[in-house]
Amino acid sequence: MSSHKLITLAEAVRRYTRDGIQYASGAALPVGSDAVVFGRELLRQGRRDLHAIFHCNTQQLNLLAGAGAVAKAECGFSGLEVFGFANGLRRAVETGQTALEDYSNLAMALRLLGGALNWPFVPATVNIGSDIQHRSAFAPDDYPAKAKIPTVTDPFSGREIGAFSPLKPEVAAIHVSLADPLGNAIMLGTEWSRFELSRAAEKVVLIADAIVDTACMRQYPNLVRIPDVVVEAVVYHPFAAWPQSSPGFYDADEAHMKFMNKSLSTVEGTADYVRDHVTGIADVDAYLDNIGRDKVAELSDTATAFLLDPFRQWIKTPGEVAELLAASTEEAAA
Amino acid sequence: MNAPQTATQLEQQPYTRQEMMAIATGRELHDGELAIFGVGLSMLAGYFAQAHHAPRLRSMTEGGVYGATPVGGLPWGIECNRISANATSFTNAIDALGFLVASGRCDVGIIGAAQVDKFGNVNTTGIWDGDIGATYRLPKTRLTGAGGANDIACGAGRVVIMVTHEPKRFADKVSYISSPGYLDGGNAREQYGFVGGGPSAIVTTLGILRPDPVSKEFILDAYYAFSSVEEIRSATGWDLKVSPNVRVVPEPTPEELAALRRVDETGALRKA
Repeated sequence: MSSHKLITLAEAVRRYTRDGIQYASGAALPVGSDAVVFGRELLRQGRRDLHAIFHCNTQQLNLLAGAGAVAKAECGFSGLEVFGFANGLRRAVETGQTALEDYSNLAMALRLLGGALNWPFVPATVNIGSDIQHRSAFAPDDYPAKAKIPTVTDPFSGREIGAFSPLKPEVAAIHVSLADPLGNAIMLGTEWSRFELSRAAEKVVLIADAIVDTACMRQYPNLVRIPDVVVEAVVYHPFAAWPQSSPGFYDADEAHMKFMNKSLSTVEGTADYVRDHVTGIADVDAYLDNIGRDKVAELSDTATAFLLDPFRQWIKTPGEVAELLAASTEEAAA
Repeated sequence: MNAPQTATQLEQQPYTRQEMMAIATGRELHDGELAIFGVGLSMLAGYFAQAHHAPRLRSMTEGGVYGATPVGGLPWGIECNRISANATSFTNAIDALGFLVASGRCDVGIIGAAQVDKFGNVNTTGIWDGDIGATYRLPKTRLTGAGGANDIACGAGRVVIMVTHEPKRFADKVSYISSPGYLDGGNAREQYGFVGGGPSAIVTTLGILRPDPVSKEFILDAYYAFSSVEEIRSATGWDLKVSPNVRVVPEPTPEELAALRRVDETGALRKA
């Protein structure tokens, strides 16, 4: 029996997603960590009508919404920070193609916590009193909205507060820096809401920039915030967050961040972007070729590289990961 | 792009309106406080304060990045590698925005605004033609949403709003409240029991507005050496009242400007 959970990106999307699924990505940060490459594969496999749960917008949500694959989205921050508005998502919202339900960044994290704990609701001391509470894109005629963040009474003080609905996404693709073949993961940089998401989602797929031996996890068990018991599958994918950054591994590709966002501002630009940077990219080698090998080297020369030093001795080479993958494919075929 | 400049050339370059706004915002922060900065200009204002007059200012980003100072220029985001290269702690959103802000522990936050109204309510969600009405209509222009600013506006002890001073940004009433100021004014905020006190100042490219202690309406407190009461009133979308004690904000000192420009090493505040 196979003791590891390594599968390819294409297999992960085939196995764990379908049209209309409630799909969450982590860390869902606009410039930093996110499983952006998972969204590219969702498009390659033609998934549509997604209900996207993103703590914040990312280039992944921007791309998926811009390409018309997102029917509903729930988000905290929905821009690209200093890179500006997210043109693909913005266009999808302005045309009504995507219904975007607004929350704040704390609210999204608390809703995932509520899902993880199986709470009926989460007390809301933020978002109340603002139009985040009063207006609902999912129920446009419900004004002031009663169902989105309903008012409840604190049984202790008698004070009126709000109630957040918990989130339990059907599947989460969580970007991590390091995973072992069993599904234990270490995140470098802010973990944002990945800890809560990994417990809230029904199924978790890790998308790891590098695969390490389990001995690494035994050396730093306190840093393993996502243990294998909550993980279904592990996908090895270098530059999984590109053009966003991954602390320790690579910086944000500033030129591509801008190019991609500009492309997504129109239907034609989005089609061109999908043709040039999504369609037909069959494996990791083709993906890195598409980024450009010189660019890969340049982005890898990051001021955060030292963060990876304690872990380097356990990182498996692409060849070693390929051998593990091949072994599991043979087992499946047998 | 600006041509590379020598240190002397940079010193002699006059300060811009955006630099004045950043310095005036930074002056609102005090040594020893726990502060949370948003992304972009507010981050520069915060790190300027730390570099100039508040060395023991304890700062964090909403991602839970602690003890860091930016490297290589203005970070692209609160989680950017430029702010992750020398941190002493990485935690998470519930920690930063929850344990340290929603709890009431954070003294001050700096947030930006696409639109702000006379009670300090902030809109960063969208632009509509007129009132949205009783049905949620699609925005003409979708903006970035509330992000962590709503949480900071509800939880931080006080909030400084940084915004470019233009009539379209200063509305009598914002079309969508993304982050609450004093809502309808007076004691309207109190019914929600927010642990945070609300906005203490709106610092703009033309001057500084502060709330009336009773009505909570923002009035003109100060203007800059290069602006005037008349210019500010005409750039404000409501009938802006002027404090009887209205004053001129002191110009940046050479030390302040040097500190800001060390933080803003890519010159984000010196671009047109």
